[in-house]
Amino acid sequence: MTPRDAARLTLVVLGFVIVQETVMLDLRIGGVHPDVMVLLPIVAGIIGGPSRGATIGFGTGLVADLFLPTPFGLSALVACLLGFAVGLATVALDRTAWWLAPVAALGGSALYEITYGALGSVLGQPQMLHVALARIVVVVSVTNAVLALPAMRVMAWGMAQSSTEGMPTSDIGVGAAR
Amino acid sequence: MPRRSRRPRTTLLILVLAAITIITLDARGGLHVVTSGARSAASDAFAPVRSGVNAVIEPIGSFLAGSVHYGAVREQNQKLQAEIAQLRMEQAAAAQQAEALSQLSALLKLPYLNNLQTVPAEVTDFGTSDFAATVDIDVGRADGIQLDMPVVGLGGLVGQVVAVSHHTATVRLVTDGQSAVGTVYGPPPGSLAVLNGTGSGKPLSADLVPSNTPLTVGEVFSTSGLAGALFPPGIPVARVTAAHTGSSASQESVTLQPLADLAHLRYVTVVLWGPNA
Repeated sequence: MTPRDAARLTLVVLGFVIVQETVMLDLRIGGVHPDVMVLLPIVAGIIGGPSRGATIGFGTGLVADLFLPTPFGLSALVACLLGFAVGLATVALDRTAWWLAPVAALGGSALYEITYGALGSVLGQPQMLHVALARIVVVVSVTNAVLALPAMRVMAWGMAQSSTEGMPTSDIGVGAAR
Repeated sequence: MPRRSRRPRTTLLILVLAAITIITLDARGGLHVVTSGARSAASDAFAPVRSGVNAVIEPIGSFLAGSVHYGAVREQNQKLQAEIAQLRMEQAAAAQQAEALSQLSALLKLPYLNNLQTVPAEVTDFGTSDFAATVDIDVGRADGIQLDMPVVGLGGLVGQVVAVSHHTATVRLVTDGQSAVGTVYGPPPGSLAVLNGTGSGKPLSADLVPSNTPLTVGEVFSTSGLAGALFPPGIPVARVTAAHTGSSASQESVTLQPLADLAHLRYVTVVLWGPNA
């Protein structure tokens, strides 16, 4: 990754943090606010595959942890698992299909919130399962599904020069190189 | 093919181990100074961004709301409605200011604080996580706020400061599942009990209340202020809403409602007090 690539990715993450910490925190639906930071590992996994999804998920999770009162590192752990899982689940699919990102965001966000609460509970924060988990899952999943397509465009710009590891060879231009 | 599938798994394994290491070191205190410093720096760095973005968004929202109705009513009606809206806004603003003044005056005269030094604060946000019962307030280190300081509101104890940056702080509410408050109840000198939070919006539960203790609904539990306690003595915390003892239970099952209205907090008071004060 060149410094230029790193700067683009940093800008994208910073943009998501600003949106989350300003607009999303004020937007409460049934007492729950959306969490667009969860979108980052999901779209990174779709675009870059499992390895890039996990790496970017880890980094963006650590950034998210800076603004949360929950155990430091928990978002990084769950987000890297999510990025890897989404990358692995979509590796054999047509990544240009318009429905892929919204569906991955819907399922991935639900998986993230449930895993986040469960792992937090295991790590000595039992109250993390005594919340309106179903409401959190619905609000975060649906808002992220709606925002998935613009998030894909933004992340595609941020990862323009990134690895396409795991993608079918026809998609990464092996044929063209011949 | 095997090489291609092994590399992502190795990456994942390394990242998972790194995350678990960070969580463990933070929980055991080894990394806590670094993580709390990083959180404080991030909060300080984002405070102007938050207020700047909010300042931009609010006028746009107002403009869009006005545009939707433009042209929908006749000119005269528009003028009259604008006047009515203006009057209502002024009335609402006056009522809001009167309420704020009344709340702040009441907060400055809380009888249970005696001569303790306090700092008034406004609640700026109802928590950054859906998984914890916290609020953010608009005072921080620059105002003398430190970790673990008690926070009170109209009615009683609100919680405790759990994170501080330069101009903001995060308060863990007494209803949070991690909250435990040492209290006394009954006739002086009172019996000891620990009130535990069970989650945002949920009642508190009491530990250490012996079975068949004669508690009445409405009885108030106040902070104990024992040596080393996290809160000064005499701050009302919660009132009993139900109490009963099971046939073979060694403790009485007690549920309590916090006295402070935690769902509608607007102003609070931070008590400049520590366990060694």
